[in-house]
Amino acid sequence: MNPFSKLKQSNYQIVIISLVLAIILALWKPHVLVEGLQRACLYAVIALPMALILGIVGIINLAHGDFMMLGAYFAYFLNVYTGIDPLVAIFPALAAFFLIGMVSYRAIIKYVLGAPELNQLLLTFGLAMVMEQLANLIWTSRPIKLPLPYVSASATIGSFTFGTFEFVYVGAVIIVLSGLLLFLKRTGTGQAALAVGQNPRGAKLVGIHVDRTYLFIFSLSIALVGAIGAIFMTRHSIFPLVGAPFTMKSFCLIAMAGIGNLMGILWCSLILGLAENFVLSFRGYAGWADILFFALIVLVIMVRSHQRQVK
Amino acid sequence: MRNLRYLLYIAILIVLITLPLYTGVYLLNVTDIILIYLALALSWDILLRSGQISFGMAGLFGVGGYAAGLIHLNAGVNPLISIVMGGLAAGLLAWLIGMAVLQLRGMYFAIVTLALAEIFRVIVRNLPDLTGGPEGTVLPSAIFAGNSTKTYWLVLVVALVSVIASEIFRRTRIHFALTSIRNDEVVAKSSGIDVFKYLVFIFVVTSAIQGLTGGAYAHIYGFVSPEGSFSIDFTLLPIAMALLGGMHSTWGPVVGAVVLGVISEFLKLKIPYGHLLVYGLIIVIAILFFPQGIVGTIGQKLKKAHRA
Repeated sequence: MNPFSKLKQSNYQIVIISLVLAIILALWKPHVLVEGLQRACLYAVIALPMALILGIVGIINLAHGDFMMLGAYFAYFLNVYTGIDPLVAIFPALAAFFLIGMVSYRAIIKYVLGAPELNQLLLTFGLAMVMEQLANLIWTSRPIKLPLPYVSASATIGSFTFGTFEFVYVGAVIIVLSGLLLFLKRTGTGQAALAVGQNPRGAKLVGIHVDRTYLFIFSLSIALVGAIGAIFMTRHSIFPLVGAPFTMKSFCLIAMAGIGNLMGILWCSLILGLAENFVLSFRGYAGWADILFFALIVLVIMVRSHQRQVK
Repeated sequence: MRNLRYLLYIAILIVLITLPLYTGVYLLNVTDIILIYLALALSWDILLRSGQISFGMAGLFGVGGYAAGLIHLNAGVNPLISIVMGGLAAGLLAWLIGMAVLQLRGMYFAIVTLALAEIFRVIVRNLPDLTGGPEGTVLPSAIFAGNSTKTYWLVLVVALVSVIASEIFRRTRIHFALTSIRNDEVVAKSSGIDVFKYLVFIFVVTSAIQGLTGGAYAHIYGFVSPEGSFSIDFTLLPIAMALLGGMHSTWGPVVGAVVLGVISEFLKLKIPYGHLLVYGLIIVIAILFFPQGIVGTIGQKLKKAHRA
C-alpha cells in the first residue's frame, strides 16, 4: 500500500524520461506546461476525495462533482451576504460539507452499502440529478462569477506571460494529498480506515467500528470536495451543471490509477492535463482535446486487462 | 389460463395499433417518446441479464441516428430502409468494439462503454464535412412528412421489435446461457457455454436495437446533432426506467418506461424547469425502498399471497 515503495528501480527511468519530455515541452510550448500543470492539479484535487470514498467505503459517488458545485454556490453566497473571501470560505465550507456528508451518509448512502454495484451507481446518479435540478430551480442556470481582482494575477518570464493565481490548485493538491497520506499512514483512525477498506469483515473482527469509519471517511471526502468548490469558484463561472464533467473525469482518473492508489491519481492527472492542453494548443484541433481523456482511459483499461490475462 | 394470456396480449396489441383513432396529436407524440425510451430500456436490460452494465447506449443510439440520417441524405435511400441500415451500422460497430471490450467485466466494462459513447460524440462533432460538425445536420424533411399516425406506427414497430427480441431471449436456450454467465462465469464456462460468443452476440443485438431506435428518432425529428443525438439522457433515463420497473424481465422495463414517461411528461407541464428533480427523487426512492422495481415487488407480493 505504501505509494513510495512502488517507485522501484525501473520506475526511475520513467521519471527521467518524463522530466526530459517536460523540459522539451517547457522550451517549445511553455503555456502547455504551466496551464497543463494547473489543470492537472485541479483534476487531481477533485478526484482524490472520490478515490477515498471508492477505496474505503466502496461506493462510486456519481454525485461527486455536484457536491463541488454546491460548495461553489456556498462560497458565492457567503461572499454575497457576509463579504467573506472565497479562499477564507474554505474553512466554513469544510465544516458545512462535513455535516452535509454526514447527513447524506446517514440518510441515504448507508442503505445501499450491501446492495449490488448497479444500485449504488444509480442511487448516487439519482442524487446527482436531484442536486443539479434543485440548484437549477433555486439559482437558475445563469452562470455567476464573483469579481475578484486577485485571480487575474500573472507573471512574465521573458516573453512568456502566465497566470499565477491558478497555482492555488497545485498548492491545494499538495496539501490534500500529503494530508490524506499522512492521515492514512500515521494516525490510528487512518490506519483503521485503510483496514476497513481492505476487508470490512476482518476490520470488524479486530474491533474497528466499521460504520463509524465509513461515516467519517464519507463526510471527510464531501467536506474536502465542498472546500475545493470554494477554491474553484474564484476562477470559474459557476452554474448547476458545472460539477458534472468533473465526476466523469475523476472516475476516469481513478480507474486509470487503480483503486486505492492516491499517488497514482496525481501522475495520471498530470499526463492527462498536459496532454489535453497540448492538443488544445493547436489551432483547429482544439475540439479533439475532449477525446483524449476517454481514449486514454479506454487504452489503459484495455492494456491492463490484457496484461492480467497474459499473466 | 394460457389462452387468456394470449388473448390479453392480442387485445393490448389491437389497442396499441388503433391508438391514433382515439387520441390527439399531442398524446401520440408523448407516446412516441415513451416507446423510444422503452426500446432503449429493454435493450439495456437484455444486456444486463448477462451481468454486463452498459453506459454506452447514447453512443450507439447516436451512431444509429447519424448513420440513418446521413445514408438517407447522401445516398438518397428510402428513410425506412435507412433506419434499418442505421441499426445494422450500430450492430456492426458493436461487433467490432465488442471483440475487444467484452473481455472486460463489471465497473471497467461500464466505464469503457461510457467513454466510447463520448468518443463517438467527439468524433462526430469534429468531422464537419461529413456530419455537419457541432451544429448537426438537418434532414430535408421529417419522415412521412411529419404525419403523426404513421410516425407512431413506426415507433411502435421499433418498440415491438425490442419486446419480441427480449421475449425470444427469455424463452430460448440463450436465456439459460446469459443467466449462468451472470451468476457465475467460471461455472458457465465449465458447463460448455462459449461465454465470449454469447456476450458478443447479445451485445451486437442490443446495440442494433439501440441503433434502430436512434435511426427512428433522427428521422422523426429530421435532425441530428452531437449534443442532441448523443445526449446522456438516452443512457440515463432508460436505465432509470428499467430500474424502476424491475430488471431482468421484459415487463419491468416496459412498466418502468410507461410510468416514468407519463410522470415526467405530466411534471413537465406542472414545473417546467424542475421535472428532472422529481425524476431523480423517484430513482433515489426506488433504489432505497423498492430495489426489485415495481414488477419485482408486485411479483413478490403475489407469490407471498399465493403461498398464504
